[in-house]
Amino acid sequence: MSSFDVELIDIVKDFESGGSRLRAVDHINVQIADGEFFALLGPSGCGKTTTLRLIAGFEQPTAGRVLIRGRAMEGIPAYHRPVNTVFQDYALFPHLTVEQNIMFGLQMEGLEKKEAQKRALESLEQVRLPGVGRRRPHQLSGGQQQRVALARALVKQPAVLLLDEPLGALDLKLRKNMQVELKALQRDVGITFVYVTHDQEEAITMADRIAVMNNGEMLQVGSPKEIYERPGTRFVADFIGETNFVDGTLLERDEEGFGTVKLMNDAVIRAQLSDTLASTGGPVLVAIRPERISICRADAGPAGPGTTSLAARLVDSQYIGTDTRFTLQIGETIELVARVQNIDDLPKAAFPVGQAVTANWSETSTTILDH
Amino acid sequence: MSAQALINESALGRNRRVKQLGKLGLWLNPVLAYFFLWAPILVLVLFSFNQSKSVASFTGFTLKWYSNILNNIVGAESAFSTEIMLNAFRNSLFVGTIATAIATVLGTMIALAMARGSFPGKRLLDGLLFLPVVIPEITQAISLAIFFKVAFDWIHLLSGERVFPGFHTIIMAHVTFNISYVAIVARARLADMDPTLEEAARDLGANPWQTFCRVTFPLILPGVIAGALLAFTLSLDDFVITFFTSGVGTTTLPVFVYGLLKLTVTPEVNAISTIMMLLSTLLIGISLALQGRSASRS
Repeated sequence: MSSFDVELIDIVKDFESGGSRLRAVDHINVQIADGEFFALLGPSGCGKTTTLRLIAGFEQPTAGRVLIRGRAMEGIPAYHRPVNTVFQDYALFPHLTVEQNIMFGLQMEGLEKKEAQKRALESLEQVRLPGVGRRRPHQLSGGQQQRVALARALVKQPAVLLLDEPLGALDLKLRKNMQVELKALQRDVGITFVYVTHDQEEAITMADRIAVMNNGEMLQVGSPKEIYERPGTRFVADFIGETNFVDGTLLERDEEGFGTVKLMNDAVIRAQLSDTLASTGGPVLVAIRPERISICRADAGPAGPGTTSLAARLVDSQYIGTDTRFTLQIGETIELVARVQNIDDLPKAAFPVGQAVTANWSETSTTILDH
Repeated sequence: MSAQALINESALGRNRRVKQLGKLGLWLNPVLAYFFLWAPILVLVLFSFNQSKSVASFTGFTLKWYSNILNNIVGAESAFSTEIMLNAFRNSLFVGTIATAIATVLGTMIALAMARGSFPGKRLLDGLLFLPVVIPEITQAISLAIFFKVAFDWIHLLSGERVFPGFHTIIMAHVTFNISYVAIVARARLADMDPTLEEAARDLGANPWQTFCRVTFPLILPGVIAGALLAFTLSLDDFVITFFTSGVGTTTLPVFVYGLLKLTVTPEVNAISTIMMLLSTLLIGISLALQGRSASRS
């Protein structure tokens, strides 16, 4: 018996329309553990929703296998799979009351009406929405409908709960609250969540692991920290958070997982190699997160070991509330963005535009990526 | 400076007059259009209350012709007979009910196939669905009459049985044109329905049949009923197709009324026509209300 709730083995999904073939999912392999909060993250059209629908059974893979709790799902229709879905626009039945909506799935299992009613009430309490059982879905607000959709799926106690951008239609404040609540709920019930979103912040705050997808491919799978701090490709680094990309030439790779890169302005720096780096020399990209760059006065003296220091000129500064964004010019061709938290008035006051400064960052917070 | 102001003022005045004329036109247009639509019917209704037998002049108000319909007048003095009329009305209801029931089931099934299925030639078939709505009724009537004739000849040839037109041919003919109307109305309702609702039902463990019974059908039911009412009305009112496909002893109400007219225009015809119009209007009204309600709900 495998300890994985969901296994996708070399999944391919093609859609054919009018003679042309579109590959929505391209050789995906992933294993999702029991009780995990797993996010599928990517831009629209990247294949994340199709992947979810393949697990739900709404689509059949062109090639590859879907396993749920170790059981192959070939030929098993959606209504026999131990998974339930929270749909993007909730898909509540408009002709049924909230209570009847939640009871629907239980009655399909053959549960008696009384018992189903009791479970529906409990479920509404679980999503903190008691007392609306008699109402129709359209009489509820978007946030309330979202909770009903959640209750309707959870009451079935599925092995895996599939969520397709469930917070997409809510406004920002409500979304933030629901993120916290959903995460807490998932910990409580211990059900595996597979969560589709295009919002990188949502994925990072909620998920145990994130799979970043683009053009039907799963580019990288890892914890939010791994994805953010050790992006494997330019796309991942760019899609998640803000990143500076600097062109360079890889001179050498060492045994400790670091490489030496000559930048365009002939400066030579040391940085971490990405886990999937193919290049053994030649053109590469160096990715540096803006908040990892610290700015010192030009005459501050040498930085410690393991730190890269480059002379720069402050070109622009922009106040954005929590942070100040500085644009730095290094040599003729390199422009970097640095973000400094506005803990006090210091950064902005200390560095007027046009001043010569030193930009410092740790070698471990810089990643070398394939070009 | 002042000349300029004067010109502007007269231009403004002209603008105002044009606007007023436009308003008058907007008001007059529907009045005339509706008069054109309803005047003949109003004349009919009016003369159904006329004391005189002739439609030449309105001599006074009476309910005589309505009471003639209800009381059992046997056609001695007039060409009209309540017994025959009631019999024709029963025939109409019989044909209408059965044809509507069959057409509603078939039409709904076609609507489902068109909305949810995917098969080769779907677009062509979708277009052909509208054909009975657009082809002239007389064409359809003659084609059905010929079709039945040929079919009955073949049955005679193969089995030796002689088959004659009757209720079965009228009902089949009515089903033929009613299917399209039911399918079109039900299809519109299906198109309004969010297909994720069906996915949600399957996701919650409903097999395709349960999904249809518990989700799809309840949601399209207003459309199906609206289509059925429309079909029933068309069936009740139909003359041309019924006339060409009827046999002996299958006279429906419109055919009966036509028969009355052939002899002489009796005031009872006006009264029956008025009642039929009210009945049809009521049915269509319910049908429209159902379609409107279903549209506004989703």
